[in-house]
Amino acid sequence: MKKINTQIFIPIAALLILLLFNLIADPSFFKVTLGYNSVGNPVLSGYLMTVLDCGSELAILAIGMTLVTAATGGQDISVGAAIAIAGSVILRVLCGHDSRPTELQAPIIVAFLVACVVAMLFGAFNGVLVSIFKIQPMVATLILYTAGRSIAAWINNNELPIISDPKFGYFGGLIPGIAIPTPFFIAMGCVIVAALVLKFTNLGLYTQAVGINESSSRLNGLNPTFIKFLTFVILGLCVAVTALIKVSRLSSINYSVIAKDIEMDAILAVALGGNSLSGGKFNMWSSIIGAYVIQLLTTTLYKFNVQSDALPAYKAVVVILLVVFSAPTVRDKMEEISKKIKTRKVTKGVV
Amino acid sequence: MKIRILSMFLTVALLTVPLVACGKTAETDSFDGIYEDEEYVETDEDVVVVGFSQIGAESDWRKVNTESMKETFANAEGYELIVDDAQQKQSNQITAIRRFIQQEVDYIVLAPVTEDGWDTVLGEARDAHIPVIIVDRMVDANNSLFTCWVGSDFLLESKKVTSWMNKYFTMQGIDGSEINIANIQGTYGASSQIGRTSGLSQAVRDNGWNFLGAECGEYTQARGREIMAQFLNKYRDINVVYCENDNEAFGAIEAIEAAGRKAGNNIKDGEIMVVSFDGVSDEALDKAGEGKIACIGECNPLHGPRVLEIIENLEAGITPNKFEYVDESIYSGEDRITTISVDGQSYYVTVLNK
Amino acid sequence: MTKKLKNMTDTNLLLTITIVVFFLMYIGAIVFQGKGFLKPQTFFNILNANAALIILSCGMSLVMITGGIDISVGGVTALVSMCCAVYLDYKGGNVVGSLFIALGIGLAFGLVQGFLVAYLDIQPFIVSLAGMFFARGMTTIVNTNPFNVANEEFVALKETRVIIPGLGSVNKLGKYVNAYVEIGVVVAIIIVILMFIVLRWTKLGRSFYAVGGNKQSALMLGINVKRTKFLSHVICSLLAGIGGYVYFLHVGSGAASHAAGAEMNAIASSIIGGTMLTGGVGNIAGTFFGVLSLSTIQNIVSSAGLDQAWWTGITIAAMLCLFLVIQSVVMSRKNAAMKK
Repeated sequence: MKKINTQIFIPIAALLILLLFNLIADPSFFKVTLGYNSVGNPVLSGYLMTVLDCGSELAILAIGMTLVTAATGGQDISVGAAIAIAGSVILRVLCGHDSRPTELQAPIIVAFLVACVVAMLFGAFNGVLVSIFKIQPMVATLILYTAGRSIAAWINNNELPIISDPKFGYFGGLIPGIAIPTPFFIAMGCVIVAALVLKFTNLGLYTQAVGINESSSRLNGLNPTFIKFLTFVILGLCVAVTALIKVSRLSSINYSVIAKDIEMDAILAVALGGNSLSGGKFNMWSSIIGAYVIQLLTTTLYKFNVQSDALPAYKAVVVILLVVFSAPTVRDKMEEISKKIKTRKVTKGVV
Repeated sequence: MKIRILSMFLTVALLTVPLVACGKTAETDSFDGIYEDEEYVETDEDVVVVGFSQIGAESDWRKVNTESMKETFANAEGYELIVDDAQQKQSNQITAIRRFIQQEVDYIVLAPVTEDGWDTVLGEARDAHIPVIIVDRMVDANNSLFTCWVGSDFLLESKKVTSWMNKYFTMQGIDGSEINIANIQGTYGASSQIGRTSGLSQAVRDNGWNFLGAECGEYTQARGREIMAQFLNKYRDINVVYCENDNEAFGAIEAIEAAGRKAGNNIKDGEIMVVSFDGVSDEALDKAGEGKIACIGECNPLHGPRVLEIIENLEAGITPNKFEYVDESIYSGEDRITTISVDGQSYYVTVLNK
Repeated sequence: MTKKLKNMTDTNLLLTITIVVFFLMYIGAIVFQGKGFLKPQTFFNILNANAALIILSCGMSLVMITGGIDISVGGVTALVSMCCAVYLDYKGGNVVGSLFIALGIGLAFGLVQGFLVAYLDIQPFIVSLAGMFFARGMTTIVNTNPFNVANEEFVALKETRVIIPGLGSVNKLGKYVNAYVEIGVVVAIIIVILMFIVLRWTKLGRSFYAVGGNKQSALMLGINVKRTKFLSHVICSLLAGIGGYVYFLHVGSGAASHAAGAEMNAIASSIIGGTMLTGGVGNIAGTFFGVLSLSTIQNIVSSAGLDQAWWTGITIAAMLCLFLVIQSVVMSRKNAAMKK
C-alpha cells in the first residue's frame, strides 16, 4: 500500500514543483481569459487551457502504454506511426476518391470505427509478434515504426486530403457553445472508461500478474500470451482515438510530421508516473498525471521563449533528474544518508 | 536441418519483396509509355535519361513541382525521368546524385534541400561530364559546378509582399510602430527561407515595425498551427503573422480561429493579418480572395517545361543562361491596391475576387 | 560449455543467413536493374554513404549483446557534427581539435549514460532516450541554422579518397575511372575488425556475451557485471562520437536534422545482422552485413525510380519482420533443446 502512495507522489510532486515555479516566475501563467472565436463561439484561452488541450492526446496514449508496459515489460515505439496510419484511414474514408471533397463521403463515426478496426489490427500485429513470437516489444514495434508512415502515405496516395466540413474540426477544437477544448473531454471519457474497466474487470490484476512473473501467472491459470496480445489491441484503440483528435485539429494530415516523437513522450509519461518500465505493478492515474506534467513542462518552456527545437534538451535534464531520484539504488543511498545524519555521523563527499 | 530449409525459404521470399515492389510500380507507370519491363533504366542511345533529385513532398508547392516535372517529361518524346524523393535529407540527395552518376544518366536535375554542402558531389558530376541543372532553391557552390539554375527570386518575392503590407498600412493610417509582427519560417537553410526571412527583416528595419519573434515551421501546416498557437499565447498584441509558405499560413489561420481570433486585414479591430507565399493551390487563392490571407507572394512551381527547354537547348548545343528567374506576381483580395513598387520598379498585383 | 557451443551455432547460423541474403540481393539487383550495380563504385558508394552507420551499428550491437540499448547515437552524431562545424568555422579551430571534440562528446555521453545504467540501475531505454533528447536539443542550442564548413584543412581531409587498386570502370566518355572510398570507410573497416577481434578472442569480449546471456552466471564466473555494462555504454557512445565525425566528414556540414533516425537504422542493422536484443547473441561481422543489406535495399528501391518514398520504409520493415521471425524460431528451437 505504501508503495503505491509513493508512486503517485512522484508525478504530483513534479506537477506541484512546476506550478510553483510558474507562480513565482510569472503568475500570468494561470490567467485564463474568455474570448469569442470567428464564428462567435466562446473560447477559454490561456496557458493552462493549452496544457489541458494539448496534453490530452498524451494522456489517452498513456493509458494504453501503461498496460503494454505492465504486461510485457517493454514499450511500443510505433504509436506515432500507428497514429499516422489511423489518421490517414479516417481521412481516406471521409474523402473517398477526391482528396478535397466538398462534402463528407461517409459519416464521421463510420470513419472513426474503421480507423479503430485498422489501428487495433496493427496493434494485434505487434501483439502477435510480442506474445506468440516472443520478440522484445521495442524491437517488434520497430517494424511498424519503420513502415507506419510509409503505409499512411500510401493509404492516401501521398496526397494531402483536406476536410472542409467544420463539424470534423469539433473533435480537436471546440464544440460550439462549450468554451473548453473537446480533446480534454475525450481524454476524460477515456480515463473514465479505463477506470471502470480496471474496477469491474480483472484486467489490471491479470496484467500485473503477467508482468511480475509470467510463468507463475500461467500456473495460476492465466493465459499470458492472450493478455499481452490484449494490451496491444487496447493500445491500438487508444491510438485510433488520438488519431481522430490529431487529424481533426488540422482537418488534414502530414504523414511525416503527425504525432512525431509522441511515442517517446508517451513512454516518458509512463516513466514519470513512477511505473517500472520493466513491467509488473502499475498505477494508471500516475501515468495520466505524468502525461499532463510533460505537457505542462513543454508549455512552461515555450512560455520562457525556449525554441521548440531546443526543448528536448531541457526535457532531458528534467527526465534524468526524475529517474535518478526515483531509482531504487539512489533511494536506498539517500535513506542510508538520512540515517547517518540522524546518528550524527555526517560523512562528507557522499552524494 | 528443418530450420535451415525454413531459413532458405524465407530468404528467397525476402528477395522477392523489393523485386515485386519494382515490378509493381513499373507496371503502374507503364501507361506513360517510357518504361519497358524491368530494363527501363538501361540507357539507350536515343533516350535521354534525366535523374531528378527532389527534396520531398512536404508542401503543396513541392507536390505541384514534382508533378510538373513528371508530366512534362512523360509527354516529351525520347526522354526518361528518374525521380528520387530524398525525404528532406541532404545525405539522401547526395547518395541519389552519386547513384545517378553510376547509372550514367545524361542530365541531373537537383532541387537542393539546403544551400550548403554540395561542392564535392557536384564536382563528381562535373568529372563525369553530366550537366547539373539546379531548380527552385540555390546552392552555395562555385558557379562552374553546375550548368544553370532555374527558380524564383525569393528576396524579390519577399520585398513585393512587404511593400504591399507597407502600402496597405499607410493607406489605413496605421503607424509602423503599431505593427507587431511574428515570423513563421521555412526549413532552415533553404534559399526560400533565407530570401523570405531577410526580406522581412529589411522591411522591419525600414518601416519601424515591432518584430516579436520567429520559429521554424518547416513549411508544414502542422507546425504552422502549433507555432501560431504558441505565438498567440506568448505575444498578446500580435497583429501580423508572416508565414513563409501557404501551408504554414493554413495552420496559422486554424490556430488563430481556434483561439477565438479572426484572420483578416482589419488589424485595427483586432483581426490578425496573415501574409504568405507560393499561391499554388486553389485553397490558398480562395483564402486570399476571402481576405483570410491578406497577400500571397507567388512562387511558380511549374519548372518542368523550363527544365525541358534547357535540356533541349543543351542537346542542340546552345548554352543556356546561368541564372533564369521565373516571372511571378502577387495575389491579394484587397482591390484598392493594384500596383506596388520595389526598388524603383513597379509591379502589378493580381486582385482576386471574393 | 555445451550452452556456449549452442550459442555460437546460433550466432553463426544467423550470420550465414544475413550474408547469403545480402549476396542474393545484390546479384538480384545486378540482374534486374542493369549495369549501375555492376560497377564497383556503386558498391563503394554504399560504403561511403554508410560508413558512419557501420560504426554506430558496431556500438549498438555491443550494447545489445550486453542486453542494453542506446538510442542516443543518432543525436550524438548530430551534436558532434554541429559542434565540430561551429568549432572549425566560427572559432577558427583545426582538424585535430575537432577530432578531440568529437571523442570528448562521445566519451562524456558514454560516461554519464554508462554510470546511470550500470551503477544506478536505471533502464537503458529511458537513459538513452533522455540522452537523445539532450543531444538533439543541444544541437539546436549550439547553432540553429545548418551550414557548410569551409575550413581548408577539413575540406582537404573530406576530399581525400583512397583509391582501390584494380577496381574501376569505364565511364561514358570512355575514360577509365578508379573506384575509391572515403577516409570514413577506412575508419569503419578498422573499427569493424577491431571490434570483431575484441568480441571473439578476448576475455573482455567474452564477458560482454556472458553479461548479456545470463547475469547470474556471469556474476558467478567472477565477472564484474556493472563494470562490463558500464564499459559497453562507454564504448558505444565513443563509437557514436567517432561515427559522428565520420558522418560529419561525409556531409561536411552541421545541421540539427543530421542523422535523423540513425539510431533506429543502427538497431535494425544489428537485428538483421543477427544480434538479439535479449542479449548474449550477436556478431560484428553480421552487423556489418546488416548495414550493407539495409542500404542495398534502399539503393535498389530508389534506383528503380520509385519516387513513392514509402516503398523504402515498407521493404525495410518487411525485411526486419522476416529476420525477427527467423530469430524467434531459432530461439524457441534452442529453448526446446535446452528443456530436453
